[in-house]
Amino acid sequence: MRLSVAAAISHGRVYRRFGLSPRSRLDLLRNLVTALVRHERIETPWARADEMRGYAERLIDYAKRGDKDERAMRMADFWLTEKDLIHKLFKVLAPRFQPHAGSYTRLLQIPNRDGLDRAKMAVIELKGNPLPPLVRPRRDSDRTLLNQLLKGYRQDAQRARG
Amino acid sequence: VLVLVRSPLPRLRVLLQRCWGRLERGLWPGIFGGQGLPWGPALAVQGPALVPQGISDAGAPNLPESVVWMAAPKQRRTIEVNRCRRRNPNKLIEIKRNIDVCPECGNLKQKHVLCGYCYAKVKEETRLIRMEIYKKEGGPFNAPTVETVVLYEGEKPTEKDEGKRIIERARKRPSWFVQN
Repeated sequence: MRLSVAAAISHGRVYRRFGLSPRSRLDLLRNLVTALVRHERIETPWARADEMRGYAERLIDYAKRGDKDERAMRMADFWLTEKDLIHKLFKVLAPRFQPHAGSYTRLLQIPNRDGLDRAKMAVIELKGNPLPPLVRPRRDSDRTLLNQLLKGYRQDAQRARG
Repeated sequence: VLVLVRSPLPRLRVLLQRCWGRLERGLWPGIFGGQGLPWGPALAVQGPALVPQGISDAGAPNLPESVVWMAAPKQRRTIEVNRCRRRNPNKLIEIKRNIDVCPECGNLKQKHVLCGYCYAKVKEETRLIRMEIYKKEGGPFNAPTVETVVLYEGEKPTEKDEGKRIIERARKRPSWFVQN
């Protein structure tokens, strides 16, 4: 039970402070979510991207309920300021992420911004987007010890079978 | 007192002769310790106005008791002490040990950050693709209700790209954008 609220102590608070007020923070994050749904990949300061990620993924979870659901439609109506994106959300993104259990977004850090503030920037994208990939998955070289041993094991197994 | 001065410069000789004349006439007292002309009575002036006495016995300055005494350094910090403080490891810039070489392009990158060169390449290509999308959509707020696929020169849509909107790019497919 909280007996007193000490000022300037924020132990355990998870939400960052943005903008001028809590309402302004929500508006800021709402703009970012709208931009993400429209462009499917955006570049923004890391703190904003991290904060926005949770809201975006919960919005997609609501969209998976289907557009007949009253709560889902109200959520999409609030969070997407451009109303043509509500159609995109329910008709494109919900079917795309139906097989996924969670984690519909990818957050990667990029080099600091070029301006005077050198802010820590990140790029956040929805998985399965049509744009070029940011990171190419690299397979380990065939010359590593483990891979050579596995290759030898596979050859032995094949020889034993044949 | 025998003084023999022989100087080649005529002006210097004239000056020396003048100084010697003044010395002989006693108009330059104090040089050899003897008294000059007998001095007569002169004007006497009250002492303290000429030589104020208050400086030497100043003691404590007359400040009110409510004044706050501030901390001030007593001694100058020597350069050795200064160096010890300035070069202490916690004041030096930390060296980064998380810098690696990007396997794609060979530029340097931090381990947990994307390579700047490769990201700039991808960003430029994304910008061109988005320009094509904008041209196709024609105006703002025309987001399609179907998926999108990007095809380069000489590529046909496969059976996976059945109901998708096709964005054409007028160039060869880059090696790092694998078609799937």
